[in-house]
Amino acid sequence: MGMTAVEKVLARTAGMQAVSPGDVVYPDPDFIMIHDGLVRGAKRELDSLGINRLAAPDKVVMVTDHEVIYGSARAAEFGVINRNAAKAWGVKQFFDVGRGGHGHIFPMESGMLLPGMFYFDNDRHSTNAGAIGAFGFRVGAEISRVLATGTNWVSVPRSLRITLKGKLKPHVYARDIGFYIARLIGNGSLDFDMDYRVVEFAGDIEQFGLSERTALCNSPTELGAYGVFFSPSQAILAFAAERAQRPFTPVYPDADAVYEKEATLALGDIEPQVALPGSIRRSVDISEAIGQRIDHAFLGACGSGMYEDLAAAARFIAGRQVAPGVRFFVAPGTERTLKRMAADGLLNVFIEAGAIMLPPGCGPCNDAVAGPLHEGEVSISTASNSNAGRFGSKQAKLFLGSPATVAASAVAGAITDPRTTGVN
Amino acid sequence: MASFSWLLKGRCYRLGHEVPHAGGVIPDRLITSREFDPQKLIPHLFEETDPGFHTRAKPADIIVAGRKFGMGPKMNGYIAMQAMGLGLVCESMPYLAYRAAIGCGVRVLTDCAGATDLCATGDELEVDFETGRFINRTRGSTAQFPPMPAALREIVALGGNIGWLRQWWEKRQAMAESGEERR
Repeated sequence: MGMTAVEKVLARTAGMQAVSPGDVVYPDPDFIMIHDGLVRGAKRELDSLGINRLAAPDKVVMVTDHEVIYGSARAAEFGVINRNAAKAWGVKQFFDVGRGGHGHIFPMESGMLLPGMFYFDNDRHSTNAGAIGAFGFRVGAEISRVLATGTNWVSVPRSLRITLKGKLKPHVYARDIGFYIARLIGNGSLDFDMDYRVVEFAGDIEQFGLSERTALCNSPTELGAYGVFFSPSQAILAFAAERAQRPFTPVYPDADAVYEKEATLALGDIEPQVALPGSIRRSVDISEAIGQRIDHAFLGACGSGMYEDLAAAARFIAGRQVAPGVRFFVAPGTERTLKRMAADGLLNVFIEAGAIMLPPGCGPCNDAVAGPLHEGEVSISTASNSNAGRFGSKQAKLFLGSPATVAASAVAGAITDPRTTGVN
Repeated sequence: MASFSWLLKGRCYRLGHEVPHAGGVIPDRLITSREFDPQKLIPHLFEETDPGFHTRAKPADIIVAGRKFGMGPKMNGYIAMQAMGLGLVCESMPYLAYRAAIGCGVRVLTDCAGATDLCATGDELEVDFETGRFINRTRGSTAQFPPMPAALREIVALGGNIGWLRQWWEKRQAMAESGEERR
């Protein structure tokens, strides 16, 4: 019986010939990631047990992306705890404030995360690894066991396959595909249970670069998926090879790999989508949301924080102004992207328009540690989800859209179809 | 852990489908206040769906639930269930709920299709979590469900993730010490 790519990654790292869904394995990861919000808890837990050394400090990557600018006394305290933990544990790969950016983006850009790799992560958006053809496994607070022992149990997940056909219409973007899939699941027309599944995208995917693949990793995660996978294209392999910090071997699914369910999606059928407040399952064609007044807009986060996302949005901002009464926050995903924007003028486009630049990282999409909303306020953003309270008040209304839709809306002061802005 | 048993003989508490962790298993306020003390959690277990549950339930009693039990990646209710010595049999659990229950040391069988049709609250049950054998003494019926994987029983037998990690470290330290003695 054939294996999916993720099954092959798990078999390799678990030292086995083959694995099947349901097998419990202990993969030896290529690296281990923990972000700034979890270090204190893990340190306390290990300290309470007397565990004073990690299994493989050289494999551990610590990232400060959730609270980059300390907006509270608690955040400043966490900063100290995290730096002390890095020293005590002997972790040298510590990407603290200003050193890397979003932990689910910069490892792909810097050649740390490469096709065919496996890593453990405390955070569920490790699913982004599928964009480059790798698999990141979220263990939450159980990251402490990974830090101590070097591994943890993984029950091999089942896989679903979505075959994409054709091309998107103008001003329809990868994030729109994700919202559209969530909508089909929400209204029952796509009978997929994504809980603990790996979602593999296949079909006409050669047209999608890393940023689009990354965007497509986002929505399945919100629907419960534990992994997303794209077979790396020649362009992705070339991108990875250019910056690889070590040799890598890409993996691809076998022709007879087993998928629990399969579906095909015609890309040409998809309109720009807007996720209504509450859940991405509540996504609609943008025509149903046009004109909704906004107070707040945010561009960035793990699904839409790459250079290409910001460049796509900038086209709707260039030479225009953010609407009066709207605060528009922009968080480039990584330091690398921020530097590139500064060098080629893209940064100025946002600044001239009156956008507020936030440091690379998660932006407000982490319990609103920056740029929160008051009750009754309305936001449109590229955040990972529109769950109540994601940006502060539970009484705020959070809409989601593609980077283009968010930028066009920030300029207009109301949810706006990017196709009606005059931008080609 | 000498008294630890994979075979529970107790009374059935049957629940329906899609019981959320917040509200269904334990009140939301104890989740948001991050209450992890079992003694403070126990009086509130299933409080909103079955007031007084904790006064009637005894160690080895078994919760039998339908599909998608315990929705939400929270631990608080499982901490109480583990401390009370309760077992859990359900038709399905979202993965994060299952992982949280194992991590808290709860004996749990999941993917038990049709389990809620095989019992009613008050029935006398015998469930072997090691073999997946399910016996309803009141009805005189038996069923076979998927057993707990051995790798996960190792965690549950030690009371959950913390207990497992504690034993792992102690063994490792003991090995390191005996290695040094040999030298």
